[in-house]
Amino acid sequence: MAIDRKKIIELMSKIDVLPDENGIIEGFNVYVNQLPTKFWNSFAERLTNKAENPDILQAKEYLLYNAAHECGYHTGYGIITSEEWNAVVAPMIEKVPEDILFGAYAVFTAWGWADAEIVELIPNERMVIRAYNYYESDIVKFGYSNKLSAYMIAGVSAAFMDLAYGGEYDPKGKPIGTFECKQIKGIETGDSYGEFVVTRAK
Amino acid sequence: MAQIIKNTLKYYHTFDPLTKRHYINGYQAVLHCHHYATLYTQLALDAGETELLQECARDAFREVLDTYFKDNPDIKTLSEKIDIAVQYYSLMGLGKMKVNFLGDYSGEVELLSSHIDSGWLRKWGPYDKPVNYISAGYIEAMFESVLGLPSGTFCAKEIQSIVMGSKTSIFKITRR
Repeated sequence: MAIDRKKIIELMSKIDVLPDENGIIEGFNVYVNQLPTKFWNSFAERLTNKAENPDILQAKEYLLYNAAHECGYHTGYGIITSEEWNAVVAPMIEKVPEDILFGAYAVFTAWGWADAEIVELIPNERMVIRAYNYYESDIVKFGYSNKLSAYMIAGVSAAFMDLAYGGEYDPKGKPIGTFECKQIKGIETGDSYGEFVVTRAK
Repeated sequence: MAQIIKNTLKYYHTFDPLTKRHYINGYQAVLHCHHYATLYTQLALDAGETELLQECARDAFREVLDTYFKDNPDIKTLSEKIDIAVQYYSLMGLGKMKVNFLGDYSGEVELLSSHIDSGWLRKWGPYDKPVNYISAGYIEAMFESVLGLPSGTFCAKEIQSIVMGSKTSIFKITRR
């Protein structure tokens, strides 16, 4: 494995993301924002926690997951085609698309989404991610929740597999949903890490 | 790590190598894209939870602004505080705002550019109603923070919208 995760995180985490004169941050083929994690967490948690029944909860959770799935697909593509990627990660890539996936999780970590890495990868079939520290678990300050809540990590993980094995990138996002991800462990529910399993969508 | 001073807003960015988390001026921040922000907005519209989205934005941004003013006691006047809040809005990548007026009971804010509106237009095209609840929350937080009033004192309502075809967005602010 040629991917130097530590080096990627060190270099990519130092990038200052600053706006243009119109207060807009353009980069990685998208408009970027840098908002407090509390904003994203509070909306997701308050929205899901007030669900009146399991069906409504499931629908709301799917929409949160889907937001990340679409975001991860387009931003993920923007990342792996960016100047920064070409300068730092591309020279380390030997095996495509597997090394791209490993590199993408180093960038995922550098961006502050989660300290996450691939622990199992069966090409074009299955990927298991472990997240050792992630902001979505901050919804719990004492004790444990009974609800797995890392919708963003799950959605983006499915998106990364879509990008790797779902065919050529489509700006309209047609391959989104080729893969699906299920969170099976969570720091917020008392596990020592979050775990996410990506498989082909049924 | 970087410390950049542009105009008067300080920008102090750190990355914690142990937790792999980013901090800007002490608050934890994360990079996301217009897809994520607009899909959250669409979700709020579909679920009838736009007030919740606006409230979450207000609470989160209020903490950011209050902390900044507390840590920088040299920023004293109303005008200086508004200037900082306007710059903070841009620093987060949310766009560019102009405070047309601010008072104890009302106000008006204009967005000359907007992350949410530009993102929405790029993703889905024009829409038939305003969508910028995140900025509405920011504006409420700004009014309440610079005036030192409790959270929930003001209500911001978007009455003109870029996503509906206008050149700028306008928010009317009313004391509850």
